[in-house]
Amino acid sequence: MFDIDFNNSGAVVVSGRLDAAQAAKAQEFLDRVLDECIVDMAALEYISSAGLGVLLKTHKRLMVSDSELKLINVNSHINDIFRYSGFDKLFIIETVSS
Amino acid sequence: MRRRYKRNIEEIRNIVADTEQFFAQENIDESLRMKVDLSLEELFVNMVTYNTETVCEILIEMKLIDSGIEVSLTDHDVDRFDPTESRPVDVDAPLADRVPGGLGLYLVLKMADSINYEYHERTSKITFTNKVAETDV
Repeated sequence: MFDIDFNNSGAVVVSGRLDAAQAAKAQEFLDRVLDECIVDMAALEYISSAGLGVLLKTHKRLMVSDSELKLINVNSHINDIFRYSGFDKLFIIETVSS
Repeated sequence: MRRRYKRNIEEIRNIVADTEQFFAQENIDESLRMKVDLSLEELFVNMVTYNTETVCEILIEMKLIDSGIEVSLTDHDVDRFDPTESRPVDVDAPLADRVPGGLGLYLVLKMADSINYEYHERTSKITFTNKVAETDV
């Protein structure tokens, strides 16, 4: 189960498991984001390389217009994946505890 | 646990459900779940995506080992591809040089405590283990 939507503040909220079977759904949604965007990951339970690819592709597209994705409420397991992938050097990431 | 899966990424949900059930049944430390789920997905998707010369279902086996779990994926009638020899990913590269893709096997090699590849009579078998760190036991 994976879901992605905007909240009342305009942030993108993702929940569930962002795996290879759900990456197209996430990409289709994020392709509609045109400028600076916060992605709230409080309810995201899992991410694989397919999900990382979606974030990277969107981030690179936004950086062309001096915008970016900011990832917030990242849990420790997913933050480990981000660190292993070097995403901690590419994105602004706020973990649950920070 | 021993089960065959169709060559379709929609099978990921069944693999996750079966993994969850195996963890509960064998009382395996849940701290290993994310690593096992990730390695299983990456290796399964890799087989589905690149081993297009076969139509055989992919066999996944799981067994309890001391302080953890051993998982293997077997793919029949395929060419040799050893994921342990996959090229390294430069995770320190700047954003401009990073491209989507290529991270999956890198993460598997990073996450698994051991990984072994066997190829015999056009059958690929990848086995990995994940164990609870001794300090956590």
